[in-house]
Amino acid sequence: MEMTGEYRIPASRETVWEALNDPEILKACIPGCQSLEKTADDAMSAVVQAKVGPVKATFNGNVTLQNLNPPTSYTIAGEGKGGVAGFAKGSADVNLAEHEGETLLSYTVSAQVGGKLAQLGSRLIDSTAKKYAEEFFSCLSEKVAGKQPEGGSAAGADAAAPKAAAAAPETKPAEAAPAEAEPEQKPESEHHESTFSEIEHEVEERFHEAEERLETEAGRGTLGGPWMWGLIAFAIVIVLLLIFN
Amino acid sequence: MGAEGFGARLMRKEDRRFVTGRGRYTDDIGLKDMTHGVFVRSPHAHAKIRSIDTSEAEKMPGVVGVLTGHDLAADKLGGLICGWMIHSKDGSPMKAGAHPALAADTVRYVGDAVAIVIAETRDQARDAAEAVAVDYEELPAVIDPAKAMDSGAPQIHPEAESNLIYDWTIGDEEATNAQFSNAAHVTSIDLINNRLVPNAMEPRAAIGSYDPAEEHFTLYNTSQNPHVARLVLSAFVGVAPEHKLRVIAPDVGGGFGSKIFIYPEETTCLWASKKIGGRPVKWVADRTEAFLTDAHGRDHVTKAELALDAEHRILGLRVRTIANLGAYMSTFSSSVPTYLYATLLSGQYAIPQIFAEVLAVYTNTTPVDAYRGAGRPEATFVVERLMETAAREVGLDPAEFRRKNFVRSFPHQTPVIMAYDAGDYEASLSAALEAADYAGFPARKAEAESRGKKRGIGLSCYIEACGIAPSQAVGSLGAGVGLWESAEVRVNPVGTIEVLTGTHSHGQSHETTFAQIINDRFGVPTDTVSIVHGDTDKVQFGMGTYGSRSAAVGLSAVYKALDKVEAKAKKIAAHLMEASEDDIVLENGTFQVAGTDKTLGFHEVALAAYTAHNLPEGMEPGLKETSFYDPTNFTFPAGSYVCEVEIDPDTGKTTIVQFVAADDFGRIINPMIVEGQVHGGLAQGIGQALLEGCVYEADTGQLITASFQDYCMPRADDLPSFKVMTTETVCPGNPLGVKGCGEAGAIGSPPALINALTDALGTNELSMPASPEKVWRALRSASSAAAA
Repeated sequence: MEMTGEYRIPASRETVWEALNDPEILKACIPGCQSLEKTADDAMSAVVQAKVGPVKATFNGNVTLQNLNPPTSYTIAGEGKGGVAGFAKGSADVNLAEHEGETLLSYTVSAQVGGKLAQLGSRLIDSTAKKYAEEFFSCLSEKVAGKQPEGGSAAGADAAAPKAAAAAPETKPAEAAPAEAEPEQKPESEHHESTFSEIEHEVEERFHEAEERLETEAGRGTLGGPWMWGLIAFAIVIVLLLIFN
Repeated sequence: MGAEGFGARLMRKEDRRFVTGRGRYTDDIGLKDMTHGVFVRSPHAHAKIRSIDTSEAEKMPGVVGVLTGHDLAADKLGGLICGWMIHSKDGSPMKAGAHPALAADTVRYVGDAVAIVIAETRDQARDAAEAVAVDYEELPAVIDPAKAMDSGAPQIHPEAESNLIYDWTIGDEEATNAQFSNAAHVTSIDLINNRLVPNAMEPRAAIGSYDPAEEHFTLYNTSQNPHVARLVLSAFVGVAPEHKLRVIAPDVGGGFGSKIFIYPEETTCLWASKKIGGRPVKWVADRTEAFLTDAHGRDHVTKAELALDAEHRILGLRVRTIANLGAYMSTFSSSVPTYLYATLLSGQYAIPQIFAEVLAVYTNTTPVDAYRGAGRPEATFVVERLMETAAREVGLDPAEFRRKNFVRSFPHQTPVIMAYDAGDYEASLSAALEAADYAGFPARKAEAESRGKKRGIGLSCYIEACGIAPSQAVGSLGAGVGLWESAEVRVNPVGTIEVLTGTHSHGQSHETTFAQIINDRFGVPTDTVSIVHGDTDKVQFGMGTYGSRSAAVGLSAVYKALDKVEAKAKKIAAHLMEASEDDIVLENGTFQVAGTDKTLGFHEVALAAYTAHNLPEGMEPGLKETSFYDPTNFTFPAGSYVCEVEIDPDTGKTTIVQFVAADDFGRIINPMIVEGQVHGGLAQGIGQALLEGCVYEADTGQLITASFQDYCMPRADDLPSFKVMTTETVCPGNPLGVKGCGEAGAIGSPPALINALTDALGTNELSMPASPEKVWRALRSASSAAAA
């Protein structure tokens, strides 16, 4: 199955590219990431704990990067094994475009899940993946918002900061502005927490909604519906799992 | 009819323990030093097993052992078997692939077991199962039965080229084709009979227990037929010789066919108990495992044609079916799409020629076997969808068209083996039409139209073959077992009675209905009668319960044993009362010398039989008799169902406005229980037609309807208040005159519902389950076709 999506990140393309290749940033931003290591220039391995509905598992994932065309595009292909919980595998074509000084990240994913993830998770993958995607991108945006591409670039610091603020309105300009200094852990983590709890709340709500829908509608729709949502949603998770590389 | 006898609406004796939570199911049983097993299952539909690393799991807390398919192979344990040999039309035997209880080299469906992890607790076993590392090399999978034989489709078993297990035919092809060439009208239809998951309330479970001192195995499991399980596990799998293996099927919470079969799990638990030194191993399926591994039902792809003459009489029927048997052949899977299906294609109609071809294929899906109705729902769906479609095409009222073609004289030999012994199809159809106010339908339709709703009415006149089955007949058709039944009636010294039956009750109410028969014969109260079943150490060899056979075959065996008991008791009573044996009558629990006031209570005669102080010359003490009953024919329950639906064209939601079932089950022992069986069957049939669909993701073979979140079971609010009634023609084939009622509802209802829906929609293109989305789309395509 195929799915696409895009996300606007308030930083230059080079900065985003570097962040996407920075194991530390990825490790910090991938929800549930326990370890992430570069095993080669074009490969990473990671251990990520994910919970999809009733299925909680630790995935051992391996990812390779292909068709590298920095800082514009690449393809990431990977596979995660979660033991009894099943497996996930897929690939994503990731494209970075400059857009008004910011970066438009777009992706096309094909993904497959198996085992318990497919059996039990299909309807719950949706909300889980949204939660993970939000977490990852908001974290990534924050991390790169104030960062200059190393070695300098055309984009000025003064331009980057307000745009970051515009793109992430919930971020207080006061926090975003002094970004050139070493990142202030405290406000950032606070912000992270509040976003996280908001999302958690939203996910909870959506989960209950979904459960209610399941109660009344289980099986009444055709396959296409819920399964496709599930796959699409899971593909987002995969993108995340993959993008972390 | 007495208050408790034949025909009485006696409340179920077994309900006290079930409704108070005192039923004793396999999972309720705990044995000393018992361990818990959890299976490691394939997440892939088709893959080679490169390696299995159990070292981490073995180090986990509480782990007693981890066993794989290689351990099983090393112990030379046999694979699971399919017990009914089907031959292809070229005479070659069916191509059965090997079915080891634990896959060693190749997995063939998602859920295929590759290892068992045994630990002190279930949670520990589950945790350790996570640590078993299986390295798979994925292979391409094929899911759709219609594509299984395509060139380039992955080969699932080396034994079955192109995944074809058999290509079987029945009937005279040439004669049937000749009928078609003379036809005034031919109706053809393409059908898919959707795959279903049985979903018994109690998941499957097993405890294997090995006693090293006696070299004896005990298996507790959720079985519909413990003796057959013992036979297969002993003679074919080779776990232990029969006398060293006891199988106990205690209370079982529903089977619907899915608990007939001998599965990998109980086999593994038995073997594993010995491997770990004799500690019992318990396994209880969770709901996901039930979805993944209980043998599924149905899954046919069919093309069928009906030839009519100018007077709308049926000339012939041609059917070609591809039957999906899944990744392995389950215990009786080969018989379901052949002798339980194609032999019923004549329906209730006089059809001069029928030819059917059935191709059974392997796919990378859960094995498919008998499920409530087993072949007969599939046959009924073909026949009744065709009948309705043909009637619409030639412009006849569907009821009238059926009447015109009913079998009206009995016995009736069909062109496909079956010889119908008795029936009155006109009677049940008339009863159903009257109860449904069929004549008033156009007015109701117009009224619904005025509210913007679409109304439709559909019929289904089903027939099935129950009372399975005459042993010689099924033997000649390839069955590996005889299908008679056994009974032992033990009258105790105090006059209470134990009836040991080879059938097994897992919801069928044997404890009540069997006791009613004893009451009917002897006049003793039903609470002095116990029905004993489900334990190979207690009960003589028997064949179990499936195919609505318990009353027609099992009770007939009881009846014969009762004859013997009665004859001996009368001899004793005559001797004690110094009368002629011929003058003794047994009524209301009392032996009386006819025309006198000389009487003896049933208990007095029983006691006399055991004290043996004063028995007729040469008579053995005791009052206990055994009987085996082998039926001479199948029984043929039949009936007519009427379904009326209303569709909301905006949402596609279907409401079943009324559902009428008029069944002929022969004589009825307990109408309340029969109604319950019909209600349950209708719910399952309506579930199939409207709600239930088992779906695998194409290509990958992931089961994506593996929980109740995605697989929709029928609920009370999906169903109308059923109108059920019976008409009666006595079955001439057995001493009780009964036919069987357990499966009828599931057999007759799907086509009635789909016929009603297609009537409302004005299009014949609608597949099961008819979800609101499908109905909505069908409505749109019908209206755009009408516009064009």
